Amino acid sequence: MRRALRMSYLAAAVGGLGFFAMSVLLLGVWPGRALEHQIHATSPEHPLALSASEQRGRAIYAREGCAYCHTQQIRYLSSDVSRFGAATLAWETIFDYPHLWGTRRIGPDLSREASIRPEDWQFSHLYAPRALVADSVMPAFPWLFDGAPDRPRQEGRDLVAYLETLGRDRALAGPEGEAHARTACNCSDDERRFAFAALNASPAMARRTGEHPRLDASQDLSHGKELYAQYCAACHGLRGEGDGPGSAGLHPRPANLAEHEYTLDRLSASLWNGVAGTAMPGWRDLAPRDLSAIAQVVRGFHAVQPEPSLPSDVLELGARVYADRCAQCHGEKGGGDGSAAGQFSIAPADLRSGRPSMAASLRALRNGVDGTPMAPWNRELSEAELSAVAYFVRGFFQQ
Amino acid sequence: MSDSRGQVETRLVYAHGLASIIVLFVSLLFGFFASLEMAAPDSLGASPWLTWGRLRYDHTQGIMLGWLANAFFAFLYHAVPLLTGRRVTSVRLGQWIFGLWNFAIVLPGWILVLAGFSQPLEWAEFPLVIDAFVVLALLLAAIQFLPPFFSRGLEDLYVSSWYIIGGLVFTLLAYPMGNFVPELVPGARGAAFSGLWIHDAVGLFVTPLALAMIYFVIPAATRRPIFSHFLSMLGFWLLFFLYPLNGTHHYVFSVIPMSAQIGAITASTLLGVDVILVVANLLLSLRGAGWLPRDLGLRFVATGTVFYLIVSIQGSVQAQMAVNQSVHFSDWVVGHSHLAMLGFASFAAAGGLIHVWQRIPWARYNAEALEWSYWLLLAGVILMVTDLTVAGLVEARMWQSSAPWIESVRAAGPYWMFRALTFVPIAGGFVALLAGLTTGDPGAGLAAIRDSVGLKPVSEIAPRLAIAESE
Repeated sequence: MRRALRMSYLAAAVGGLGFFAMSVLLLGVWPGRALEHQIHATSPEHPLALSASEQRGRAIYAREGCAYCHTQQIRYLSSDVSRFGAATLAWETIFDYPHLWGTRRIGPDLSREASIRPEDWQFSHLYAPRALVADSVMPAFPWLFDGAPDRPRQEGRDLVAYLETLGRDRALAGPEGEAHARTACNCSDDERRFAFAALNASPAMARRTGEHPRLDASQDLSHGKELYAQYCAACHGLRGEGDGPGSAGLHPRPANLAEHEYTLDRLSASLWNGVAGTAMPGWRDLAPRDLSAIAQVVRGFHAVQPEPSLPSDVLELGARVYADRCAQCHGEKGGGDGSAAGQFSIAPADLRSGRPSMAASLRALRNGVDGTPMAPWNRELSEAELSAVAYFVRGFFQQ
Repeated sequence: MSDSRGQVETRLVYAHGLASIIVLFVSLLFGFFASLEMAAPDSLGASPWLTWGRLRYDHTQGIMLGWLANAFFAFLYHAVPLLTGRRVTSVRLGQWIFGLWNFAIVLPGWILVLAGFSQPLEWAEFPLVIDAFVVLALLLAAIQFLPPFFSRGLEDLYVSSWYIIGGLVFTLLAYPMGNFVPELVPGARGAAFSGLWIHDAVGLFVTPLALAMIYFVIPAATRRPIFSHFLSMLGFWLLFFLYPLNGTHHYVFSVIPMSAQIGAITASTLLGVDVILVVANLLLSLRGAGWLPRDLGLRFVATGTVFYLIVSIQGSVQAQMAVNQSVHFSDWVVGHSHLAMLGFASFAAAGGLIHVWQRIPWARYNAEALEWSYWLLLAGVILMVTDLTVAGLVEARMWQSSAPWIESVRAAGPYWMFRALTFVPIAGGFVALLAGLTTGDPGAGLAAIRDSVGLKPVSEIAPRLAIAESE
């Protein structure tokens, strides 16, 4: 009897330990093998591993608990995919020792962060998050900088270098990589739909596909002002002068909206797609109604002034200088589509959909535009030529 | 002490008990600072040592490894001799465990995290060097507490003993898995193991030892046997079968194979059913003690039992795909873990501490302060969890809409502010707990036992408990 009892305890002990072993096998080892097969089948041949700097940045990301507010895991759900992009594939995580998936999302998911924000925005945002996103609760990391958002220390550089890798391999895999992974993925149709969603995923956000919407003019101005204060004022300033608290570290500086007159279509394109090469993100999360309201506020910043009428020889001088010096980039008709335009990461200004004030036009010509390929022309051109061409370019508007 | 074979090392009980509350205050402050930084960012300046992530790491590690583990040890030094009729292995070993646990694990762990040395794994944030000491200390704890069970013989073990053996052994297995494996196995594959540990930390360490306390305190305080030994054992085996299988429910709709996710969700559902069984047995054992037991240890433990039921059913619901897809990542989950760690585990641990304190003849005991502690903590945990639940549902709703992400942050703001304010009743409750165990007359606890329920003479429950009570 006693022996039987003792045997039963032995059996219970073995059984108990068996429960634990079973859990590790069923939920740890076996899924691991399945994932390994999937990685093997779907991964590009040589995904880009992290550089030493990116690796150090990853360690900073880990130690500051970034993963406890920002997930790096886009789930197979339309709410996740439409917000953040295609669902995370297993091969995208093969360099993550340990993983940084996260179980809480206070800020947005960062799996595709590389293609969403430029470096200057990341630096400014790390330095003082609320300067750029008024309602953010993210901790500030000023100790990664030497007193200014555009003077990051090595740690700050490393961290942003790491952020720039998030989603990079997936983007580098390109359409061929996606096609290869799609055919090789041993997943259900449903999973495939989320993992390889065809998305208008550049350059700002994943949500919604298609062209920028048509905005209309009649809008609720107070609603627009509220939205502008929430989303735009941090960079563009409360009066649209491009001098918000977040503007200091951005290159190029946020547009001075008071000095420009924009067409509705231009505002819609900028709001919908963001402006490539700048910190301006797309605002596809906002309904077209809201975008119209914001556009209305932006157009309101511009004070209409009486236009001086200049003698025709000045206009001719302006046209001549423009054709010689400007048309290569800004295009013959001022559409920002000159023969050289394609080589720049920031597109030359489209003068047909946005007209600078005379002062802004002159300033851009004299000093160039910091952070863009627009160079200063005050050494190349005489004062008379500068004034003439500054006036001339304003004539392209809405032509 | 009439029978020195079952002698309780009261000094070790006292040391771990006191340490648990001191460590608790520090952990509580970490949590409060973190909550403050969410409600009012920049309010604590911008020092790397006080950045949110590091505070968050120290908060949860301090609660689990500092407060709860110390309270568990205090309880084990009381319960193991009484359950087995044998002394723990060695007092000297006990001093080593105490020193290691508090001065080689909790204290340096906190400092290292604040200085920027940690690992970004949930419930495993202390750096690897600390993990090595944890494993060592757990090994020593097994040597300290398990031999009495084996030398006594395993026949007719009371269910608390099973939970103690199970908790100590399984934690020793699960801890290295959760802390070391994801460092060696990358990405999604490592996350599968992380998921296991996130649940095992609660299910195989905190829950078994908290349940061991509850199962111990109820019969000892009511002086009546547990309702059903059979249900106790059924509950035990089902818990140890199901808990480890829950882990993957933290990564539903991820790239981890769907069959593993569904398996974990099924186990989570069954776990809820099992907890109904366990709690029914416990509540039936409480019959006659009244809604608000006069014995304060019993009252804390009974309330913890009710929280255990709520939090487990809540967990089963949250694991369901239809619910999980919208509320996962939200503050409701944070509310859920506070209901588990503060509602269930901390109430059980406080009850267990009060219970063992009453039985240290020379320890001070202040019933009035403990009365305050109970009500303040009850108010605090209910307010906080309700607040976080609503916040989570609001966030989930915003995320399902097309509103920009920051709208969900803005909407959560007032809830985060309220959550930070719930620090007041919770901290007050724990201050009162400390006062209850350090002020008042020495020996007042023994008087409180005589004054409390006592439905049946102690000798009728179990002969071994009778040894304890006759001291």
